[in-house]
Amino acid sequence: MTAREKVFSGIKSALAPLPEREARPAVPHGVADPQWLAGEADNVALFKKRAKVAGTLCFDTPGGCLSWLYEQQAKTVYLPEALASLDAKFAEFVQLTHDYTRGRVDEIDAALTLAHGAIAETGTIILTDESTPDRLAALAPWTHIAVVRKDTIHRSVADALAAMPDDPNIIWVTGPSKTADVEGILIQGVHGPGVQGCLLV
Amino acid sequence: MINLATRPTSKRVQLMATCLCDAFYDDVAKATVEVLEHAGCEVVFPENQTCCGQPAFNCGQWPAARTVMRHTAQVFAGDEPIIVPSGSCAAMMFHGATLEFEGEKDRAAIEQVGGRTWELGDFLVNGLGIKEWPGEFHARIAFHRACHTRGTASGPAVMQLLESIKGLRVLPFGEAEQCCGFGGTFSVSFPNVSTAMGELKLEHVEAVDPDYLVSGDMSCLMHLSGLAEREHRPIKTLHFAQILRDALHHRHGQATH
Amino acid sequence: MPCTTAMAKQLIDTYVAELPPTVQKAVHQSTATTTEKRYQLLGDDFTDSDALRKLAGSIRQHTLEHLDTYLAQAEESLTARGAKVHYAVTADDACRAVTEILLSAGITKVVKSKSMVTEEIHLNDYLANHGIESVESDLGEYIVQIDGDHPSHIVRPIIHKTRGDIARSFEREGLGDYNDDPETITRRARKFMRGKYLEAGAGITGANFVTADTGRLVLVTNEGNSRFCLAPAKVHIALVGIEKVVPSDADLAVLLNLLGRSATGQQLTVYTEFINGPRRHDRPSGPEQMHVVFVDNRRTEVLASDCKEILRCIRCGACLNVCPVYRQASGHAYRSVYPGPVGAVLSPLLAGDKFKELADLPKASSLCGACNEVCPVDIPIPDLLLRLRRRAHEEHVPSPGTPPMAGFALLGSHPLIWRSAMTFGAAKDYLPLDKMPVPYLGSWLKTRTLPKWRGGKFRTWMKSRHGRNGGNGK
Ligand code: SF4
Repeated sequence: MTAREKVFSGIKSALAPLPEREARPAVPHGVADPQWLAGEADNVALFKKRAKVAGTLCFDTPGGCLSWLYEQQAKTVYLPEALASLDAKFAEFVQLTHDYTRGRVDEIDAALTLAHGAIAETGTIILTDESTPDRLAALAPWTHIAVVRKDTIHRSVADALAAMPDDPNIIWVTGPSKTADVEGILIQGVHGPGVQGCLLV
Repeated sequence: MINLATRPTSKRVQLMATCLCDAFYDDVAKATVEVLEHAGCEVVFPENQTCCGQPAFNCGQWPAARTVMRHTAQVFAGDEPIIVPSGSCAAMMFHGATLEFEGEKDRAAIEQVGGRTWELGDFLVNGLGIKEWPGEFHARIAFHRACHTRGTASGPAVMQLLESIKGLRVLPFGEAEQCCGFGGTFSVSFPNVSTAMGELKLEHVEAVDPDYLVSGDMSCLMHLSGLAEREHRPIKTLHFAQILRDALHHRHGQATH
Repeated sequence: MPCTTAMAKQLIDTYVAELPPTVQKAVHQSTATTTEKRYQLLGDDFTDSDALRKLAGSIRQHTLEHLDTYLAQAEESLTARGAKVHYAVTADDACRAVTEILLSAGITKVVKSKSMVTEEIHLNDYLANHGIESVESDLGEYIVQIDGDHPSHIVRPIIHKTRGDIARSFEREGLGDYNDDPETITRRARKFMRGKYLEAGAGITGANFVTADTGRLVLVTNEGNSRFCLAPAKVHIALVGIEKVVPSDADLAVLLNLLGRSATGQQLTVYTEFINGPRRHDRPSGPEQMHVVFVDNRRTEVLASDCKEILRCIRCGACLNVCPVYRQASGHAYRSVYPGPVGAVLSPLLAGDKFKELADLPKASSLCGACNEVCPVDIPIPDLLLRLRRRAHEEHVPSPGTPPMAGFALLGSHPLIWRSAMTFGAAKDYLPLDKMPVPYLGSWLKTRTLPKWRGGKFRTWMKSRHGRNGGNGK
């Protein structure tokens, strides 16, 4: 018997004596929505509110985002091809790079990437390999700012799950990387970004 | 699984006094009778009752536990509600017993008895529909919700009654959801854990300085008051039935504890 | 004061007496805070969180009772998307499968993201014995690893360590001079780990869930380490317990909403990752190979037992946090990978023929039911503990401090003897109880007094009222 056969025959003989089996429960769409969600009219406003709770900075304009980066003294900023429209604006103030290579992981202060979408309920940013091809770029720099198109914001976790794209790697980002491993004290920026931002366009 | 929603609610009731009241806390059993009578019940006390068998059940000695439960089921034959002034013993009757009799031929007979069993507070509020309790009782109390009433209607029911009594204030205290550490034979086989849990409970209760520590289970109170007394910081305890009874007489709780 | 009665001891109880108060305090504070956050968030967000827990429980139970179907479906979905699926019957099989994948790809360095099943099968030791360096990337797990220690909590592995302990370990490992500032500790780990991520040939992860219909492995972390394990590496190996399957993405809406809130009091964990295949060929980063090893390691035995509900567990740790015994004992007292209430059920079951060695764990509970009350998948943990106690009794496992119940059964089923015992029990008030050679009594009296005996008094009172109202039934 192969390992697979052994496992499946183990499962089958474990289940065989059951007089009846638990039926599949109905999981109505939105059954696990928080009760306050219904009272929120505007997806964008809700996203901003919840992003703040999660610790994600929100920028309404590229200019706002840029001046913040400038204040933070970000020198080298990564912009992917997909965001080439921002090039001219940014190149004036920071040094731009379009190419994210392993060897230079620590040279880049901030990365802007294009998000696939977002979730208003939780203030979550959705990245995929399709929208954000370079996984490292969205992860390694201290500051990561995802560009989110307002019309791609899902209302709830349930909505986002109902519209999952066909992509081998989807990641939901709800705030900056953090840990409370050392005596329960919250520290941001463990492996991923210490600053997580979002530019709404 | 016993459906608790279909338990009988008639006013002729059988009283299961519990072994602890039989041995130590007669006044709690008396108070239970008087409270039920005040609520218009006719209380029958089946003389041959002993115990729900929980000690053996909790030790994994199920054949011994079943012997006791079979006896109990016989003693409480009939179709009246069975009222217990203990959340723990009540849960043994309507939950533990189903587990204990899994695969046994007489499970249905046992479940018939469990399916008539009510914890006292639950019965008063949800069985008889009493929403407020008359009388007065001037005191500040801490109410310890006994663990075996988790997931049942007993906790909120007792709180509702207590809070309706004139002069009575129920004080919130820290980590109220935590167990007192009694746990039956657990209290003797894990003495260090049990004692530490009890001390923590006492600390939280003492921090709000109540006149009485109140519960619906004498087992928790026996452990906690025994612990407090051994440490020379005695604490006055009452079963809520004693408060309900004393409120009727405008007494201030000169009950035995 | 620790109990020193002449009675044989329960291991966990002894452990509690010996646990340094600082550790006990740290564990209590952390678990109590998380419990409080959880209550608050669930209460604020849901009108009936109990109904949601029951629904989640039913989703998981349904999946378990149709596991053959869903597991096969998950395999099919993954294979169709280019992942390779393996099965491992034993812990050893699983370790061997991982080693073979690594060696055939010429990989000798791997990074790991936190996974309970890899703890369970002792993967790191196995890899080390085969010349493969495996580095834990979760901060807590990394510290456990360099200390040669064991996690003491399934979500917070170093709940038992102070910042000073950690600073000393870092100093010893050459990660800088002694510095116990948590921020500095974290930054040093960040810097060190980057090198490891970039040089690793493979990233090893577990999975919190696997959806059958789309083959998505769901991974949740707060640190972002799983993402980092899967960005530069060429190979992704996921070790997944066979019970982790759920039918579909829609079910995740319920489970994810409960998981974050139950585990850490967060709406969602920071990073929630869904992976169902290797990277597509035109992408710049991400593993080229994805392997999923479905691990049995006695799960099918658990499924066949009367404790199968424990396989619903989504490893949130809420039952540990709320458990008064865990709070006193911390995790190592449970002498196994899974501590606390979930461990007290799961560990003896996964121990196979070593059941007896862990048969004391189910006894270490006052059966208070707090674990069941907080469990996001509504596992009736106290019922399962009771069934395991029965099994231990049936298998004649000695149980220190547990009185034999034959005498009790006799008393409890013979009302005449019972009634006379009630009357004669009064003798207890005149005996020097603390001098009596009854160990159970001694254990009680060591820290508590007993109330005055009033056996039979209620019965007399009740009789005296006979005829007044109702009277005595027969
Ligand atoms: S048993 Fe329930 S509460 Fe405990 S870790 Fe598992 S899912 Fe969480």
